[in-house]
Amino acid sequence: MAGVLARRLFSSLLVIIGSLILVFAILYVLPGDPTDTIIDPSVATPEVVANLRHQLGVDQPFYIQFARYFGDMIRGDFGQSLMNSEPVLGKILDHFPATLALTAASSFVAVSIGLVLGVLSAVHRNRPIDLIARIVGLFGISMPTFWSGILLIVLLSLKLGWFPAMGSDGWKTLVLPAITLGTVGAGFIVRMVRSSMLDIIDEHFILTLRSKGLSERAVMYKHALRNALIPAITMIGMLIGEMLAGTVVIETVFSRQGIGRIISDALMAKDLPVVQGVIFFSAFVYVIVNTLVDLSYTFIDPRVRRSA
Amino acid sequence: MNKRKPLILTATMLLVLALVLAACSSSKGKEQNAADSAQPAAATADTKTDGSEGGAAVQGGTLSYALATSPDTLDPHRSGLAVAVRVLRTIYDSLVVQLPDNSIKPWLATSWTVSDDGKSYTFKLRQDVKFQDGTPFNAEAVKYSYDRILDPATKAANAVALLAPYESSEIIDDYTIKLNLSTPSRAFLGNLSQALLGIVSPTAAKKDGDQFGLNPVGTGPFKFVKWEQNAEIQVERNPDYNWAPETVENKGAPYLDGITFKIIPEEATRIGSVQSGQVLAAETVPPQNIVALKDDKKTQLLQANTVGLPYTLFFNEERPPWNEAKARQAVQLAIDVDSIVKTLYLGTYDRAWSPLTPGTFGYDPSLENSVKPDLTKANALLDELGWVKGADGIREKDGKKLTIHYVDGTPNREKRNDIAVIIQQQLKAIGISVEVEITKDVRTVVFTNGAYDLYGNSQVNSDPNALYSFYHTAKPNGTPTLPRLSDPDVDKLLEQGLVETDDTKRAEIYKQIQHYIIDQAVVLPIYVFPYTVAADRSVQGIVFDTLGYPIFNSASIKK
Amino acid sequence: MREAVTASTVWRRGGRARFATLRLRRLAAADSFLIGAGIMIAFIIACAAVPSLIAPYSPTAMLTDSIMQAPSRAHLFGTDYFGRDIFSVVVYGSRDSLFIGFASVLVGGLAGGAVGALAGYAGGWVDSVLMRCNDILMTIPGILLALAIASALGKGLFNIVLAVAVSSIPGYARIMRAQIISIKGRTFIAASRSVGAKPLHIFWKHVLPNALSPLLVMATIGVGTAILTGSGLSFLGLGVLREIPDWGTLLSQGRGYLTVAWWICTFPGVAITLFVLAVNIVGDRLRDNLDPKKNTKG
Repeated sequence: MAGVLARRLFSSLLVIIGSLILVFAILYVLPGDPTDTIIDPSVATPEVVANLRHQLGVDQPFYIQFARYFGDMIRGDFGQSLMNSEPVLGKILDHFPATLALTAASSFVAVSIGLVLGVLSAVHRNRPIDLIARIVGLFGISMPTFWSGILLIVLLSLKLGWFPAMGSDGWKTLVLPAITLGTVGAGFIVRMVRSSMLDIIDEHFILTLRSKGLSERAVMYKHALRNALIPAITMIGMLIGEMLAGTVVIETVFSRQGIGRIISDALMAKDLPVVQGVIFFSAFVYVIVNTLVDLSYTFIDPRVRRSA
Repeated sequence: MNKRKPLILTATMLLVLALVLAACSSSKGKEQNAADSAQPAAATADTKTDGSEGGAAVQGGTLSYALATSPDTLDPHRSGLAVAVRVLRTIYDSLVVQLPDNSIKPWLATSWTVSDDGKSYTFKLRQDVKFQDGTPFNAEAVKYSYDRILDPATKAANAVALLAPYESSEIIDDYTIKLNLSTPSRAFLGNLSQALLGIVSPTAAKKDGDQFGLNPVGTGPFKFVKWEQNAEIQVERNPDYNWAPETVENKGAPYLDGITFKIIPEEATRIGSVQSGQVLAAETVPPQNIVALKDDKKTQLLQANTVGLPYTLFFNEERPPWNEAKARQAVQLAIDVDSIVKTLYLGTYDRAWSPLTPGTFGYDPSLENSVKPDLTKANALLDELGWVKGADGIREKDGKKLTIHYVDGTPNREKRNDIAVIIQQQLKAIGISVEVEITKDVRTVVFTNGAYDLYGNSQVNSDPNALYSFYHTAKPNGTPTLPRLSDPDVDKLLEQGLVETDDTKRAEIYKQIQHYIIDQAVVLPIYVFPYTVAADRSVQGIVFDTLGYPIFNSASIKK
Repeated sequence: MREAVTASTVWRRGGRARFATLRLRRLAAADSFLIGAGIMIAFIIACAAVPSLIAPYSPTAMLTDSIMQAPSRAHLFGTDYFGRDIFSVVVYGSRDSLFIGFASVLVGGLAGGAVGALAGYAGGWVDSVLMRCNDILMTIPGILLALAIASALGKGLFNIVLAVAVSSIPGYARIMRAQIISIKGRTFIAASRSVGAKPLHIFWKHVLPNALSPLLVMATIGVGTAILTGSGLSFLGLGVLREIPDWGTLLSQGRGYLTVAWWICTFPGVAITLFVLAVNIVGDRLRDNLDPKKNTKG
């Protein structure tokens, strides 16, 4: 077991390093440099620009810059933002809770809507309710999130005043962005819940139960639903990545703080240390999650639980 | 299928972790945010009404003010963004202030003299000023601030360009300082009035080093409280403030308890939040909303034109055929700027006629209405140059199509991309094909490679000498100018303008320059950018400085 | 060898099996949406193919004296802030939108499919290396990868396609690899190997055809996803500015007018939503029909 763990950790490390190199390389070939954002090119003399580049360390060759960031990172120093010298690690830790809150709230919305619609559509298989539920579910996947977000803002916040349109303090500010992002996830969950419920309904043991005299309703809700919950919740695990990515757009639309906002701003400004820090962080989270998942397969033999 | 079950464990664990962290963060958020969430901020404790007729200012209250983008840093010497200046202006003061008539008046300096050669300025400073951290304001602080800009370790940006040709300072006594320039400059005093050359607390700047921009300390009417990145910046009343310049009605401490600058990038949300009472004021109102706001009983619109260079399209005079005045004039005659401004800005922006904006010293109003669209004449000019319309309606000469490579550097800020779209259609009418390139990398495309025929830019500036860095022949190894113009006559005039001490003569020089630029169609001025603020009717007393930045000293919130 | 059928036979066989078990009433209801989706897709493709037959105005004509007019008989979808007829712009805009959708799926699906197939079939260290590379791409959220690539390459329609395509590679690669591995383990592959077929031959003739169906489903839905990602890039300021803009650009540039002239961004938004919806409906149906387990179920 220790060997498996060690191999797994080693390859995770490789993946993290790889993603750092990849992002670094992309940013390196990105046109322009950070000084473009912090100094107006039409007033800057070449000496001022050269000095600024030197002070920021962006005049160094690729490998030196990378070695420096990487070396510092290993020692736990994630560097400072080129824009305002803010320490990167602090910045990420400050903003992560807001993103996590949004992701959690969106998952909640996604599961609630997804389950209700999914169950409805499975129970009423191929009847109009099924089709409506599926179409409603698909709407979530089919609308550009920035558009549905703005529509929600205009309708529920500006016109009706039910929820604040922006900010990241308190649960009220979470409602609209979570609905926006959650409906995307809901679409996937509807699909998943429907098909797994149908699988189970059609499986033998249900037939058996039914033949034992249980009512159709009891079969549906007691057994089929309980079993369908499992893949739905599993789906969240997969959707978390999607949702984290979704925050890039949503956090801008709703003027929220968060990791997505930081990294898109930093990418635009070519603020290398910040981009590297966030990528390292998200790669780290991703790898941890996947390693945990894989390890749990090894530790808990699913067949054992199934037979129970 | 059966591989999924363990995943639930992981997913659930993550969810729990997320909820716990979220709970932590929102409770942290609450304690900092009593004053301003969805409720308008007016209700704060120590409210005293001096005369309820609406004229007298009400004490107290926190103004929530929505900004369109996030400031980069609150270190004035390092910042390069106009949005930062709106916040910087509340925290920092300058030595002098510029009035709308372009005269320079005292602020932190009480008086000054200029040496005969124009190369040294001696300032007498106010003796009753102290920084928000208690550090006394004196000659030492001024010297520290300006030398700090020159110090490469500061990583100063636009401030370096503004401070030029400053060389060094001599402290004469505690409250007298002499600034030495390498060459005389009539623009220098005006530049000193800008927020980017604000005076910083030496104690705080030395202590915080490059973190100073996150913990800014100045002598301004408001003290920095906190900055939540991408969310808000809070400043609070500086109770000791007593040294406001002439431009401000309230000489003492501000009426407001504080200001919360909220960062709201989405236009519709930003303006809508004022109308729905979620913030009290919001900046940069898009034209379509300006029009709609005029009928709004609850909301008022404040507006100030910016000064300096209007939004101008610069021809690259080094790229044929646009090096020829006639070709440029044809474009000038074919573009209907009035129609562009009316269509896109719905009559809310003024059309620009000159390379300078109306508020700038030396502006020449006689240029107004001097250019009228005339397609016949435009076609004739191109015919004359030998460009003949081909089968697709685009002109050709020697097998080459007549094209304009139009470069824009912003993602549709102030609808600049939309201008390109209209010009593309307008120039098609006289047989010019326009390729539009939107790039982030202005330095490479425009300044290094010069790969453009038209490029648009504007600049907020306090002095007509702003023209120097745009129209004077570039230094042999320096950054090229935008029009890449090299005309000895213009050079001479610009050099004279920089040092001429007689204001009438100086204005005359700049008028000549403006005329030349328009007559030769060196550039196409498009619009003058108005800084606009939508505010709840209860907000009073927000004024704008000469450059168009908001000043909050006299602002108050009526109950 | 009996199981070595092509994707299309699976499709036909599945369809027939379904048909037999479905009651007619249910079929009619279920298929009305599929038919609707088909018509929608056909209409939008027609818009892209022959826009001049459908659009009443030139998409670039700016009627400056009638800007921001609400929908009317003269202008079905109203006019925008340039005075262009929005219906005509949307009709012409379908070209670039569909190009972004189909081209990025083609590029991303081919590249991802190839990587996944190679990794799955070759196994061993090739698999390890390719999948670690894939993991690297996966650790970076798709939109960010697209954002980085789009800003690195500069603006241009093809660069957007490339950015969207690259960010979709890992998904295709994973699906393909899983599918190949599962087919590789089946008895008929071992059987054909035992009769001496060359690995490459087995791959082309038996493994690949059977592995294609999930990729096909994913690609169908991917067309919609690509259009959404492209519009997201426009929103983040990395769209393309062409004479006739695509839907994403129209939507993101018109969104500032929502409160004063709702029709400017609403119709491009509706166009995107309906197209992506239609593609998803078709994709869902494909998935149902291609799923071998479902062959006998409704």
